[in-house]
Amino acid sequence: MFIKTRDKSIAEKLIVAALTTSAIIFGFMLIAILLFMLQESWAVWSEISVWSFLSGTDWRPVAAVPQLGIAAMIASTLWVAGGSLLIAAPLGFGSAVFLAEFAPFWLAAVLRPVLNILTGIPSVVYGFLGAAVLVRYFESSFDLATGESLFAASLVLAIMILPYIISNSESSLRSVPLEYRHAGLALGVSRPYMVWRILLPLAGKGMLGALVLALGRALGETMAVLMLAGNILLFPSSWFSQGEPLPALIALELGSATPGTLHYQGLFAAGFVLLLIVIAINILIHALQHKLKNEVSRF
Amino acid sequence: MKVKTWVALLLVAMLGLFMLSGCGGESPKAGDEAQPVEKASIKIGGSSTMAPIVAKVADNFTEEFKTWNKVDKSMPEEEIVIFVSTGGSGFGLKSAIDGTFDLGMVSKDLNDEEKAQFTAGSIVQIGSDVLDIAVNPNNPILNVKPDLTREEVKKVFAGTLKTWKELDASLPDRTIVICVRDLGGGASEVFDKSVMKGTPISPEALQIPSMGALAGKVMDNADAIGYVSSGLVNQNPDKLKALSVDGISPTLENILSGQYKIGRPLLMLSKEKPDTQEQLFMDYLKSEKGLKVVEEMGYIPATK
Repeated sequence: MFIKTRDKSIAEKLIVAALTTSAIIFGFMLIAILLFMLQESWAVWSEISVWSFLSGTDWRPVAAVPQLGIAAMIASTLWVAGGSLLIAAPLGFGSAVFLAEFAPFWLAAVLRPVLNILTGIPSVVYGFLGAAVLVRYFESSFDLATGESLFAASLVLAIMILPYIISNSESSLRSVPLEYRHAGLALGVSRPYMVWRILLPLAGKGMLGALVLALGRALGETMAVLMLAGNILLFPSSWFSQGEPLPALIALELGSATPGTLHYQGLFAAGFVLLLIVIAINILIHALQHKLKNEVSRF
Repeated sequence: MKVKTWVALLLVAMLGLFMLSGCGGESPKAGDEAQPVEKASIKIGGSSTMAPIVAKVADNFTEEFKTWNKVDKSMPEEEIVIFVSTGGSGFGLKSAIDGTFDLGMVSKDLNDEEKAQFTAGSIVQIGSDVLDIAVNPNNPILNVKPDLTREEVKKVFAGTLKTWKELDASLPDRTIVICVRDLGGGASEVFDKSVMKGTPISPEALQIPSMGALAGKVMDNADAIGYVSSGLVNQNPDKLKALSVDGISPTLENILSGQYKIGRPLLMLSKEKPDTQEQLFMDYLKSEKGLKVVEEMGYIPATK
């Protein structure tokens, strides 16, 4: 069958129209979600002040006089996610440099698919392994009262976000033009020196972007932290104390909260806060990548 | 080129269909299409204490009859499918009201406001459960002080007594690990009503998302204390030990006579009058065979 030029242009137009519509719809979806969360939680923002909701440390949503304060949960969320980055960043960057520069071809060909599979393991499996292995191990060998802790959650989260850090950092290392490597090697510097002084400064911003992307994922992770963080309402005093990150709070209580009550609205407000944190981080990534682009074009 | 264009057109068509289906409101649910006449399955959900009991009964029911016409001659020859899922009493109550589940499982007393939602439907009690104050079998308290007053239990769970030593001088100076159900659990409400009476649970208590996991935590941790369903304690006599409260241990006699007070009913709820399938299953639950499972799992079956 022949396809006439006119048909083709109609088809093309159709495609463009469809793609544009879907892009616009997805854009609206984000706005709609934000508006919905804001609307569902409006009572909280108007009845309790924003500041006392964010800074309060008492969470007693079903008491006679309900008290809603999520400072402890915000702190737990940031601590768990930040802690997981602290563990995963050095490991991830190291692995990325190894894969991009030093690994023999066959080894990299084996490792990359393995990393991809790691990203596909459901988080409940990680949480289960953590609860069955890590928690018991901590209890028996460190003489802790309970093995659940922000640290245990961070450790498991670190394993979950490692593949993201590695693959994103590796691709930003690879995106450094070959001429820089050749120039470096032609000057007779050693390979580690070239990586340290040429590649890392050039790919640094991209690697930072990988880190922030991983942080966004760590913040929103629910299942693993629900099973490992211990879910206590106290403000976390150290990495080894327990806490209840925001996603765990919402997952635990939304099922039983009656719609229309302050409890229900409080959980939506907590979700809204979490969403804003994640959006703020995404904006940060965008700004970084923009800066990176300018940086590279300067060379 | 030709192929590419067709693929692209196909994609556009699919996208269009996807959008349209989004506008079309309720899309048919997966389970509904197999049997157009009656709904193909009974969906039950709620209390994590009751889920294992009801799931076992549902298994027996399906095993025994296989198709509905064997349960009752007037029913069509359709396969029996019963889904049982957990999520807590609060979730069971909410889902029974909004219709997510056909039957809700709730293991706590309903207040008048909650009862009012079910005036058109039915509330059936299949048994009762008590909450044992359970500790790990390695806990020396079992030899030193196996009997607590209600006031002591309250102080432990409120966090006033922080270490076992503060509870009794001869006990080790180790932190008491308090294990509780989250707010969605029926047990948390029952415990509040009969022991805490409004005093908030210690903010240091570990909130655990199901009764099974709570029991598991107490089995694993020698310093843990928690309120655990008597059924689970009875199922694991070597791994969980119950303490007496005010001199009354949670034995069957004390529970039946009502002397041991931290108790709760096991309820099945349906928002509307149960349909034939649901009614047949409820009848089976309340029959000798159903109640036998309740008893085997360590709970007190309802009297007929």
